[in-house]
Amino acid sequence: MSNDFYTSSILPYSGIIIKICRAYTDTQEDFEDYYQEVCLQIWRSHSNFKEQSKWSTWVYRISLNVCLTLLKKKRNKENHFALDSLPDEAIEDSRSFVDESLNQLYQAIKQLSEIDRAVIMLYLEEKSYQEIAEIIGTNPNNIGVRIKRIKERLKKLLDGKVN
Amino acid sequence: MEKSIETIWKEGFLKNDALIAPKLNNLYNQKSIDIVDKFKRMYKINRIAIIAFAFIILPLSFLVKIPYMGIGMFFIFSLITFIANKFSEKLYKLDKTESSYQYLISFDNWVKEMAATNTKLSRFLYPYVFIVMVSGFWFGSIGGDIPGNKLVNFILLKFPNTYLILGFPLILIIIALIIMSLLAYFGGHIGKWDLNLGYGRIIKRLKVLLADMDELRN
Repeated sequence: MSNDFYTSSILPYSGIIIKICRAYTDTQEDFEDYYQEVCLQIWRSHSNFKEQSKWSTWVYRISLNVCLTLLKKKRNKENHFALDSLPDEAIEDSRSFVDESLNQLYQAIKQLSEIDRAVIMLYLEEKSYQEIAEIIGTNPNNIGVRIKRIKERLKKLLDGKVN
Repeated sequence: MEKSIETIWKEGFLKNDALIAPKLNNLYNQKSIDIVDKFKRMYKINRIAIIAFAFIILPLSFLVKIPYMGIGMFFIFSLITFIANKFSEKLYKLDKTESSYQYLISFDNWVKEMAATNTKLSRFLYPYVFIVMVSGFWFGSIGGDIPGNKLVNFILLKFPNTYLILGFPLILIIIALIIMSLLAYFGGHIGKWDLNLGYGRIIKRLKVLLADMDELRN
């Protein structure tokens, strides 16, 4: 991957890649691995980009696919090896943002299902329902209802933490 | 909750620290270690399977009265395991502290050396296995009779003019030599095919990874 490609085609979208990778990882090490894998996959598949959608949509889609695949692989690996080697409680996210509200929002988002995480992040990134549906590969008619439900869940989770 | 989630999201990411992209260094570190570790596991399982087979076939061959085959097989599979163990020692000596590129290059060289040895060995292995199997059955025992002698007697009865060399019909010797020559000629290809069957996917991944890294370095 050339520096030019990284600087011109990935770096301007690194924000969303970071946001997505953060939502699917618990440690800085995993986050960096996921981020690098996403960059690699974008680079590897950029020749397949047919300009039928925006480049940013392509980046979102690859980021989500890579994160979901890596997450699945990680879970399979954990299940494959001895279960008793896993910690008893869920792994706490060792990282934090300066903004405490954002930390709480991320913790709440991470309690959602994998697909709901993707939907709400795309919504928060102000993607249209049509674009969200295109990226997720679902019907745009259901997106609005789904977002409403996710927001209610998030509100409950955040209220539980804040209050 | 005072702020909406939309506001938290927008304001939170305005802070400087929130969106710092990690550096793309050591991009392939984990991948390199993973691919070699996976190969090591597969190679170990393979070696165990070969030696287990050697130890199973030896007593079994005595049990079914074809001991020559069992001894011959035991010998060749033990030799294969011995050679594989020597290669394994070299594999474990690859230096993980090198850069991931160097580590993968060393591993790639190891794979090439192992594949070349495997190809050379296969040219002898398959004819050897053939002759050992034929000898096993020829000098074995079926109901107290030696199958080879029975076959020679049968041929001599049907074709009394059959030419014998050291008690073996010439025609059978020629057929065996043709088969062995073919196995020796194609042995290298069979060996490569066999290697690909077991390790093809991982070797392909190695090639892709090295090509990526080469491009990254240039």
